[in-house]
Amino acid sequence: MQEVTAQPRVVPEPKPKSYKSSSELKKRLWRNKLLYVMLIPGVLYFIIFKYLPMYGLIISFQDYKPYQGISGSEWVGMKHFSRLFTEPDFLNILGNTLILFGMNILIYFPIPIILALMLNELRGTFFKRFFQTLVYLPHFMSWVIVVSISFVMVTMDGGIINELLAYFGFSKINFLLSPGWFRPMYIIQVIWREAGWGTIIYLASIAAIDPGLYEASRMDGAGRLRQVWHITLPAIRGVIITLFILKIGSVLDLGFEHVYLLLNSMNREVAEIIDTYVYTAGLRQGQFSYSTAIGFFKSIVGLIMVMTVNKVSKKIGEEGVY
Amino acid sequence: MTKKSFTLLLSSLLTLSMLSACGGNNNNEAAATKDPGASTGTNTAAATEPAAEPEKPTEIKIMLPLNTTDTPPDTIKTEVEKLTNTKLTYQFFPADTYEEKLNSSFATGSLPQVTYLKNQTTFLQMKEAIKDGQFWEIGPLLSEFPNLNKLKPEILNNTKVDGKLYTLYIGRPLARQGIIYRKDWADKLGLAAPANTEELFAMAKAFTEQDPDGNGVKDTIGVVDRNELVYGAFKTVSSWFGTPNNWAEKDGQLAPEFTFPQYFDTMDFFKNLRDGGYMNQDFAATSKTDAVNMFTSGKAGLYIGGSMQDIDSLNKDLIKNVPDAVLDTHSMVAGPDGKFAQWMIPGYNNVVLFPKSAVKDEAELKKILKFFDYMMTPEVSNLMYWGIEGTHYTVEDGKAKATDNKELIEREVKGFKDSVIGEYETNGMYQSLNVLPGRIHAEELVLENVKVGVADPTAALDSATYTSKGVELQQIITDATYKYMYGQLDKAGFEKEVESWKSRGGAQIIEEYNAAYKK
Repeated sequence: MQEVTAQPRVVPEPKPKSYKSSSELKKRLWRNKLLYVMLIPGVLYFIIFKYLPMYGLIISFQDYKPYQGISGSEWVGMKHFSRLFTEPDFLNILGNTLILFGMNILIYFPIPIILALMLNELRGTFFKRFFQTLVYLPHFMSWVIVVSISFVMVTMDGGIINELLAYFGFSKINFLLSPGWFRPMYIIQVIWREAGWGTIIYLASIAAIDPGLYEASRMDGAGRLRQVWHITLPAIRGVIITLFILKIGSVLDLGFEHVYLLLNSMNREVAEIIDTYVYTAGLRQGQFSYSTAIGFFKSIVGLIMVMTVNKVSKKIGEEGVY
Repeated sequence: MTKKSFTLLLSSLLTLSMLSACGGNNNNEAAATKDPGASTGTNTAAATEPAAEPEKPTEIKIMLPLNTTDTPPDTIKTEVEKLTNTKLTYQFFPADTYEEKLNSSFATGSLPQVTYLKNQTTFLQMKEAIKDGQFWEIGPLLSEFPNLNKLKPEILNNTKVDGKLYTLYIGRPLARQGIIYRKDWADKLGLAAPANTEELFAMAKAFTEQDPDGNGVKDTIGVVDRNELVYGAFKTVSSWFGTPNNWAEKDGQLAPEFTFPQYFDTMDFFKNLRDGGYMNQDFAATSKTDAVNMFTSGKAGLYIGGSMQDIDSLNKDLIKNVPDAVLDTHSMVAGPDGKFAQWMIPGYNNVVLFPKSAVKDEAELKKILKFFDYMMTPEVSNLMYWGIEGTHYTVEDGKAKATDNKELIEREVKGFKDSVIGEYETNGMYQSLNVLPGRIHAEELVLENVKVGVADPTAALDSATYTSKGVELQQIITDATYKYMYGQLDKAGFEKEVESWKSRGGAQIIEEYNAAYKK
């Protein structure tokens, strides 16, 4: 690594459109060799942890038995996929997954942005740091803790919220068991735990905005809100879109742990999502092939979503992620 | 926003995500590196065999799940080696990820000579491989080993695969479940331990309405239950009502429990309890921790369905909150027809297998079985279960009293404790010394329970559909049961769910079990 730092700055080269001869390409490669060396760990990471494991997808087309291995297991074609698509609950589960995803996008996604703008407007470093830390903290609590805290608060058996409702003469609400309350509970918990953490990237990009722009706008008499609207927001637009696309990519990763903890027999009709279904139907019974098939399906949906959104974002003149 | 800072941002994002990925991997690595450390415990086992056998120590590699955080030191192992003339290599793997380890070792053919599974579920999953002939059959050899021969035949039967025995079992009492209740409340209200289900209901009602804690506020409930039908209150009460244990014969055919009228009686029982407010309203969403907390905070009076042996820990936490509380155990609750019944587990918690890939011939297998034969003697089983006398436990009245230094036991003994085969009746190890009257009562009841015990007739039967879909299908019934108890389904609605269970694979399960049953 010492060599890297000792290396004189690479001279910015003219951008050749194409390489007529291979020697020219070689030369160019050689000149930037250190950059390529630095690239190796990243590439290795993706090959080892992202590409090689894809080999395992094969088992979704087999009746995989651990002791027979991938090479020895019987091929069954699309059997596991057709089982998934003919499952009576399949549409319901997919629907639940997409609704939770939609709530994540529509309700949760804007909140870190708003929070970051608000934090940015705080004057006084102490306050700013204090509140920043305060909103980050929940991120470090596991879902088990978050869900238990809310259980204690909303249970009908002496939970503080229901006691307050009863005290003021309202009837108690069965937050934990009613299907109608599952989604609000879910999204409130997501916001409470993740919103603060989500502000980090926005705050970083807001910090990179040229202060001159604000000064100029103040000279022109722009107020705080105007500044936010005309300077801050446009400046972080690219970041917002990038994060949005990345978020879409994790469309069906809604957090198994979280939903599984909230799930019970009474709210299953709205709370069963693909991840929890994989757990009950696949993993708990050692159905490796079926679980893999479901995971495969999930990834394909995610891929389609990302590609669509990326295309749209390019159409409207933004950068996209690739 | 310049392009440069944008890329900078993206790359920092990437780094962040990579860092977190590495963080995740580190944990696994740490766990993985721990294991070889344990297995390379090369201590020179100067095996001084008491008998005049100049045989050289048998080398045995053992793989087993570890239920504590750290691999135990060799303290116990060295002693065991001395007693059994062996050189043992224990490969402990964290219980949480044991299944993965098991599968990957299996796939690569690197299972050691002695392979512990994790629980009954992993055993079920392994059955196919067992049928495939990947493991040694040990049934015919057992008679050669006087101590192994003591293992209970009915439990060995439950672990047979296609009528053949491949495993040794780690025993568990057949029926430990019952009621742990507030004796002080019952005494105050002049109630005796409930003799039948009606009295049980009356007790729950009285605990709710008659202010048993005497604080003048109606802030107590009768029963506290949780989101679990089998290990919560439901199954235990259902067997009191006379519901079969999972399956039973009906018109000459095996039928699942939820087609019996007694199952509905049980659901009605809980429905009425809940409607009356005599149990926690949110029980379908209450975790075990929360349920236990309600009981130990002095809010609830009846804890049903758990192991009665838990009374020690419940009592410890309860008297912190309510110093003059008194607990007792009870399990003899008669059904409406006046009969007693208790459901029983198959009597084992885990099993040991001997892979053919590691054990080359029958001679080697016999040497390994010899080690387990030793394990069935009081000297070795006590050593592995309780530790070293004087250090980890003392003997009082012929019973073992563990040292108060819980950490020492957790660190040095716990790892081996869960691997002792058989049970105290067969391997002769000490029972634990109990002080709490409720716990002593519990031990008596555990023996009483077995006398009226109801076994699951399908325990040793196979159904391919059950293996692949059983858990998923059971979910339909579990959900319907809760909905019935919460009044969202009536009898007809419940039966419709049963029909859906049947059409989605349940009918095949019934067929397959019956076919296997007739054999």
